[in-house]
Amino acid sequence: MKLSLGPLLYYWSREDTLAFYEEAAAWPVDSIYLGETVCSRRHLLRLQDWLELAEKLSAAGKEVVLSTQTLIESESDLKALRKVVADGRFLVEANEWGAVRLLAEKGMPFVAGPTLNAYNPDTLALLGEMGATRWVPPVEMPRDMIKALLASLTGPERMETELFSYGRLPLAFSARCFTARHYNLQKDDCQFRCLDHPDGLTMRTREGEDFLTLNGIQTQSAKLMSLAHRVEELRAAGIDLLRLSPQSRHTGRVVEVFRALLAGDIATSAVPEKLDKLMPGQPCDGYWLGEAGMAYHPM
Amino acid sequence: MNLLNFPKPLARFVSTLPSWPASRAFVAAGNLVAWPSLRDLDWSHVAGRRFRVQVSDLGLKLYFSVNANGFRALHNGLADVTFTATAQDFARLALRLEDPDTLFFNRRLLIEGDTDLGLMVKNMLDAVELETAAAGMPVGMGRVVMKLRHLALK
Amino acid sequence: MPALLELICPAGSLPALKAAVDNGADGVYLGLKDNTNARNFAGLNFDAKALADGIRYAHNKGVKVLMALNTYPQPDTLSRWHQAVDIAATSGLDAIILADPGLMAYARKVHPNLRLHLSVQGSATSYEAVNFYRERFGIQRAVLPRVLSLPQVENVVNNTDVEIELFGFGGLCVMVEGRCLLSSYACGDSPNTFGACSPGHAVRWQQTPKGMETRLNGVLIDRYADDEKAGYPTLCKGRFDVQGETYYALEEPTSLNSMEMLPEMARLGIAAIKIEGRQRSPAYVAQVTQVWRAAIDAVKKDQAAFKPNPAWMAQLNKVSEGSMSTLGAYYRPWK
Repeated sequence: MKLSLGPLLYYWSREDTLAFYEEAAAWPVDSIYLGETVCSRRHLLRLQDWLELAEKLSAAGKEVVLSTQTLIESESDLKALRKVVADGRFLVEANEWGAVRLLAEKGMPFVAGPTLNAYNPDTLALLGEMGATRWVPPVEMPRDMIKALLASLTGPERMETELFSYGRLPLAFSARCFTARHYNLQKDDCQFRCLDHPDGLTMRTREGEDFLTLNGIQTQSAKLMSLAHRVEELRAAGIDLLRLSPQSRHTGRVVEVFRALLAGDIATSAVPEKLDKLMPGQPCDGYWLGEAGMAYHPM
Repeated sequence: MNLLNFPKPLARFVSTLPSWPASRAFVAAGNLVAWPSLRDLDWSHVAGRRFRVQVSDLGLKLYFSVNANGFRALHNGLADVTFTATAQDFARLALRLEDPDTLFFNRRLLIEGDTDLGLMVKNMLDAVELETAAAGMPVGMGRVVMKLRHLALK
Repeated sequence: MPALLELICPAGSLPALKAAVDNGADGVYLGLKDNTNARNFAGLNFDAKALADGIRYAHNKGVKVLMALNTYPQPDTLSRWHQAVDIAATSGLDAIILADPGLMAYARKVHPNLRLHLSVQGSATSYEAVNFYRERFGIQRAVLPRVLSLPQVENVVNNTDVEIELFGFGGLCVMVEGRCLLSSYACGDSPNTFGACSPGHAVRWQQTPKGMETRLNGVLIDRYADDEKAGYPTLCKGRFDVQGETYYALEEPTSLNSMEMLPEMARLGIAAIKIEGRQRSPAYVAQVTQVWRAAIDAVKKDQAAFKPNPAWMAQLNKVSEGSMSTLGAYYRPWK
């Protein structure tokens, strides 16, 4: 199994973002996803900056994938999407079907992102036919369904499967910006408040339980999906890549824990001791087991 | 239009009635008036489940269950699901004058306990056509019901 | 050019279908009694007999019947969705409303004459996405998610041959439909696979000394004082604490009501207006259909002079979640 660093879901300062990827070049990850997938207003890094990063990381031996925006609303969103597709040097992750159409038109291979909603063999086969070389199951998909879908993939050109395995789960996308709403600002005049919340804004129940995370137009879980203690199950299920989602601190150390687990250098029983202190929230693994996503079974 | 405006003294009197006879009277009326049109529904998922209907303004609590043979009164006790509303609102719901969700939003209808069971019954009853139900009622009753609805809609 | 502003109304039961037909709907949409559609609630929806009766009743009065098959088929139960498409094709339905490309491929191959609509659950917000479904599966209409402003809708309309249907009234999804997993995060079931958001089995309402509490699989969504209006037990309409402030962090309990934008929708050439609410009673369907019939007729008669009648608005607010309504994303500042 390989490790991938998923797209950065938060909005950090330009310096912090560049520093993060500078460090990431030295982390033991195989693939790095770059680009803004959440909000078109986040502009501290332009496509040109992402492409420069892509070249550097590629030169450092990483497979680079350019991730596209999940919610396309305007003509300028489409323009940005077309530019990513037009560059053509890097693998692209399509996060909605308009991107799939554009990539297929150009005959480019692509990664089918988690929001394409491939829940069955027919849709997965269609994606393969259109050029997907890898797919990411919807984050809510349980182990048994993933196994059934994997069984439908055959042949030497079999698509790779990448699973969201660590980090706050991206659960929903909206037209509305909830971070702006929190500050009584309109989205068009959000004053880029996301910059103040490098791991999102925690939303608690009225009983004080951490429940969700506001990240601009995206709503995430407050708990972090963590399948570190289940790497053997993931391997047995046929998962090819584990996606680790960036967080503002300790991402490199999280990557190292996963790498050590894959290499057998540490046992899964050591996961709580090694990982818990690196996590900005409680773990959950319910989706993998076919339960409520927020559930957790430490094994 | 007010369908059921109980004078206060009557409400006070009703609220002193013990539940068991009230439940029995309710069930007897239900079996006579409503059951003919409800008989053909699939009650298998509901059989044996315990319902409580609380008429809040009358302080009345009715306990019963439903199976393939009709309504059956129960002694007081635990219920799987409880519906609470005023007599007026229950009557308006029964005559299809009011939408249950609207009453819920306005805090005039409360469903406590097994929500799924409550929604199932609500949806099953919604699927019964009022005209069919009225036609199945004993002599004259159906006409009165349709007339009441008609008047209220005006 | 298709007929403008068809009125498409919800039916969760045969009486609701009749209420829609009798009160002026141009089309009625419904679903089967299982998770092949996104209103999979206990006791709701149509079995074979009700479906046949409903189609006959609607067709006799010249009203179309559409079937929502808008959840995502799953590997071990794929045949259930295929059978549902077969039922739709053989029962004389006017169109099926689909979200999953794999299922569209099946429908296209096995029943090439069946009219396909793209469901809002397909999450298509751009013309590139809409045109993908058009090229690939020949869809004839797309229902757009409730996240676009009207100028953004116009941009879609101007760049596709596909008819566009918009939501006019009813429950408001704040999140892009088909891209919301909040429900499954809390309780294991999502609209995509289970066909319901906040399914009844996970919801508990309870009157407590602190107020009426709504919980989803134990998670407190909200607590209402006696004089407060309530909303559906969905996570997006609850009150939560963010940085010490307790408020409706995502959205208030409110319904969408786009009536005042009808003239603009007519100008854009919107093919149909959808009313949400298959989970609601025949009383709701009758009231809302009647009001929207009158409004659409008024717009068609005189676009420029159209103003929503205050009595219509009052009637719609009465049946709205929290007794409030909003223009939602159609009006940009809402975002």
